[in-house]
Amino acid sequence: MPKWAMVIDLDKCTGCGDCIAACKLENNIAIVSPEEADDGRVMFWMDMVTIYEGEYPNIRVKRFPKPCFHCDNPPCTPVCPVNATYKNEEGLIGQIYHRCIGCRYCMVACPYTAKVFNWYEPEWPDEFKSCFNPDVSPRMKGVVEKCSFCAHRLLKVKEDADSEDREIMDNEYLPACSESCPTNAIDFGDLENKESRVYNLSRSSRAFRELEGLGTEPKVIYLLKRE
Amino acid sequence: MNSMQNKIIAMAQLVSFLAMWIFVIGIVIWIINLISISVELHDAPGVSLGISLIAIPVFVTLACILTYAYFGFKKKDNSNLKNSSEG
Amino acid sequence: MPKKVQYENELDAPLFRPIYETGKGFYITVGILLLIILWALIMYITQVWLGLGVTGMNQTITWGFYIVNFVFFIGISHAGTLISAILRLSRAEWRRPITRMAEVITAIVLAIGGLHPILDLGRPDRVLNIFTSGRLQSPLLWDVTSITAYFTASTVYLYLPMIPDIAKLRDKGGKLTWFYSFLSWGWQGTEHQKKVLNRAISILMIMVIPIAISVHTVISYIFSMTLQPGWHSTIFGPYFVVGAIFSGIAALIILMIVSRKVFHLEDYLKKIHFQYLGTLLLIMSLLWFYFTFSEFLTGIFGSEPHEMEIIHYKFTGTYALFFWGMLLCNFIIPVIILSFKKFKTITGILIASIVVVIGMWLERLNIVVPSLANPRMELPIGIYIPSTVEWALFLGGIAVFILGFVLFSKFFPIISIWEIEEGRKEGIKEVEERVHSYLPGKETVSE
Repeated sequence: MPKWAMVIDLDKCTGCGDCIAACKLENNIAIVSPEEADDGRVMFWMDMVTIYEGEYPNIRVKRFPKPCFHCDNPPCTPVCPVNATYKNEEGLIGQIYHRCIGCRYCMVACPYTAKVFNWYEPEWPDEFKSCFNPDVSPRMKGVVEKCSFCAHRLLKVKEDADSEDREIMDNEYLPACSESCPTNAIDFGDLENKESRVYNLSRSSRAFRELEGLGTEPKVIYLLKRE
Repeated sequence: MNSMQNKIIAMAQLVSFLAMWIFVIGIVIWIINLISISVELHDAPGVSLGISLIAIPVFVTLACILTYAYFGFKKKDNSNLKNSSEG
Repeated sequence: MPKKVQYENELDAPLFRPIYETGKGFYITVGILLLIILWALIMYITQVWLGLGVTGMNQTITWGFYIVNFVFFIGISHAGTLISAILRLSRAEWRRPITRMAEVITAIVLAIGGLHPILDLGRPDRVLNIFTSGRLQSPLLWDVTSITAYFTASTVYLYLPMIPDIAKLRDKGGKLTWFYSFLSWGWQGTEHQKKVLNRAISILMIMVIPIAISVHTVISYIFSMTLQPGWHSTIFGPYFVVGAIFSGIAALIILMIVSRKVFHLEDYLKKIHFQYLGTLLLIMSLLWFYFTFSEFLTGIFGSEPHEMEIIHYKFTGTYALFFWGMLLCNFIIPVIILSFKKFKTITGILIASIVVVIGMWLERLNIVVPSLANPRMELPIGIYIPSTVEWALFLGGIAVFILGFVLFSKFFPIISIWEIEEGRKEGIKEVEERVHSYLPGKETVSE
């Protein structure tokens, strides 16, 4: 059984935001109005976290991409009252949009605030509507959504691999963020495959996971910036 | 109050009493349904079972208390003289 | 020509009067309440139509007023049944005029509180998914189960002791005789029926106590089962139960004082009842402070960074006004008023109770929002400003509560007439015998 994980190299990451744009386009994520954005209702599956440290003039900016970490011991799945969020055998945390009742308990339970909510019926500007991704179903108002590691791409790759009677190759299934990153800072693959890049990078001395002490066992591994 | 009205009221009481039992049995069926789902999905079935072991007896006991009172009041007790209608 | 119901020559005429006399005040009150409820309903429809975006909730602060009010209303339900059950269990004679009101509060406010999570849902049309694909492993479903159990138990516990009174109303005649006849289950006051009723009430009053305790414990588990700082605390179960009983006694006192004024029940709700309840309120205030103090001392002593962020937010940050306001309302003012005989008049107790209800609402606010406003991973602090829709539903909830109580008082006696009569006839003798059995000497009578 593959175990899908992501490695984000903070040394290579320039904070350009390409991953966010690619994610929004790939997954038909709603684009909220500026007023709503000011109210804190932006919908980012891949979020670019920006942290300012220090006092002027010695300000340091920390920017790092934060998708859903698809934890191995997720705090969000035990609390869902209707089985709308669940962990599948390949380690992906799924979200069943048609079953979600919008109680937002999973959002409140996630220590990484990785989930977002459809506060209104999702809308897109007209220009966006011409490039919807037909592989991803749009969501409706009142449901929770989050990064899915582009699971629709996995389904396609699985179909291809099955029809050709072979295993999925390393780097054949990549989410949109990983594919679009101009510096190749985002790696993605199967942790169970000892030959994969992701497996080897995860054992690097620079590797760390966010909030490891909580025991959530996130499957997005960051590589520290080289000093 | 004529006896026709009395009959209607007695029927209405019986219907509401049965409705109460349907409510309680409905809750029991719901809980059992949830237990079966959790067993099917291997989703901590022990927790579901544990909760049901407490919840189901509570509801059934409440229904039984109401039943006891309902039939207890109806029972014709000939040995005691009726008290004044003060209650 | 309909026969006018005769009740003035009853010993307890004041208890019958609200049912048979309807003044202008009743219609005005009901009218205003219905208007408020209509407004709340319209606001709710806009929320269902447009989405939860009409509220003030946003990313990171995804729970707001609805959850605060949910916990608040369910909390108030506690003293209702808990007081009347515990006072009955301990055979406190002073409970007699209080139990009916307490049980009514519980039943009404549980229905309102239990409705609030549905008001909070993004997809209320899918609420039946709880039946088809629910998970009993989720604390929210523990909630559904225990609130349903408590609502059922408290409704039965309200209804059964009402039966003798309903039979009285049935025997008086009047337009609603068929209604009272339907509800009174053929009660005639025979010895056998009395025995059945007493046995049923005895079992219920014991059952209701663990169910009531479980309800607010399970609500606290919704918060304490997550990993959020400020929530993931083992003290939450008992803390919430204590807070619930505290707010419930205060709400009961307010309702009692208002009813006393409006329905002229000075002869039944006497100063001594309020003195005793005031003492209970004082005890709960001290107990509440003890739990709050433990909670924050533990957090500050451990100095875990995320926990400290939340504590700073409450002590000196954006929520300082609400936090210290809560301490003032829940501890300082009630303790001052209720500790000194000079202040412990009925007016003083009323002020203390109103202040406690406000303080306990602030406590729920202080639990829900700060932990959500301060996310981990140094993400920016959130801002929550409740919108008109949320205020409307809050006021609507209160209006439904008051309306429920007013309508109840129109059709049923709000003080248990038969229990007062029982107190007159048997209470004094029983207490005398009991006290005799405590004192040294031969046992004069058996229990």
